[in-house]
Amino acid sequence: MSSRRSRSRQSGASRITDDQIIDLVSKLQQLIPELRGRRPDKVSASKVLQETCNYIRSLHREVDGLSDRLSQLLASTDTDSDQAAIIRSLLM
Amino acid sequence: MASFTPNLEPAPDASLQFKPKKPRITLQTPSSCPSNQRTQRIKRWRTQRDQHIYSSKLFQALRRSRRTSASREVHETADRVLAGLARGTTRWSRAILTARKVTKHKKAKLPTNNRLRKPDIYRERRKTTAVERKLKVLGRLVPGCLKLSFSNLIEETSDYIAALEMQVRAMTAITEFLCGGTGGGPQPPADRLPSNVNS
Repeated sequence: MSSRRSRSRQSGASRITDDQIIDLVSKLQQLIPELRGRRPDKVSASKVLQETCNYIRSLHREVDGLSDRLSQLLASTDTDSDQAAIIRSLLM
Repeated sequence: MASFTPNLEPAPDASLQFKPKKPRITLQTPSSCPSNQRTQRIKRWRTQRDQHIYSSKLFQALRRSRRTSASREVHETADRVLAGLARGTTRWSRAILTARKVTKHKKAKLPTNNRLRKPDIYRERRKTTAVERKLKVLGRLVPGCLKLSFSNLIEETSDYIAALEMQVRAMTAITEFLCGGTGGGPQPPADRLPSNVNS
């Protein structure tokens, strides 16, 4: 993938300046666990974006799995268990 | 979709509200101290306190609604509580909250586009760079961030990722709590929950 970072387009103005790209890389890199250790100049913008999208998707999947488990757990503990009674007394 | 004021500066009172030390600020902080805002925003979803607040709210919401036997509803409830916690300061949170009220009719891409658009040879064709394509994908992943400007998208993304991570942590904790509770688990977060209930 050719790096287009150095090429700023004058015609049509892609509106993404190099500064923005540097900004993007610096900000997003901190958030993504995989890219955190790398030096910012070694990571290309498209890789950062790709990893960001992958990371968000994996987080979505994780929340999906967790909510799946939670729904099962809630269905099973919905009727009286002593835990549920304690929780109810604490919260209500 | 309701029209929002675009590019709202996130009000600092969202995070200050839960800190009793600082007075509650109702006006927006002038942008003269962006670094202050930035650190508040960075810390926003990372603190233990926020996580406890979220998990207790989520737990209450789950216990209250008896219909949560479908994982999709649990997921939506979790998203809604998460968005509610943001207090409307971010675009994705507003998008999540309003998407619940309206019956989700996904706007199909306007089919008239193809006919009205001039053929490519007549108009300056901006070759979408790889970065631009990926930015679009990112904009689709974060709720409510389609067609957002570049810098705003980055801000929303970073906030959204932090919030998602906190959501994962909190839901994991709740799951362990519900799982390990039947086995008589050690001090569960239940003793911490009441302190956050009356928030």
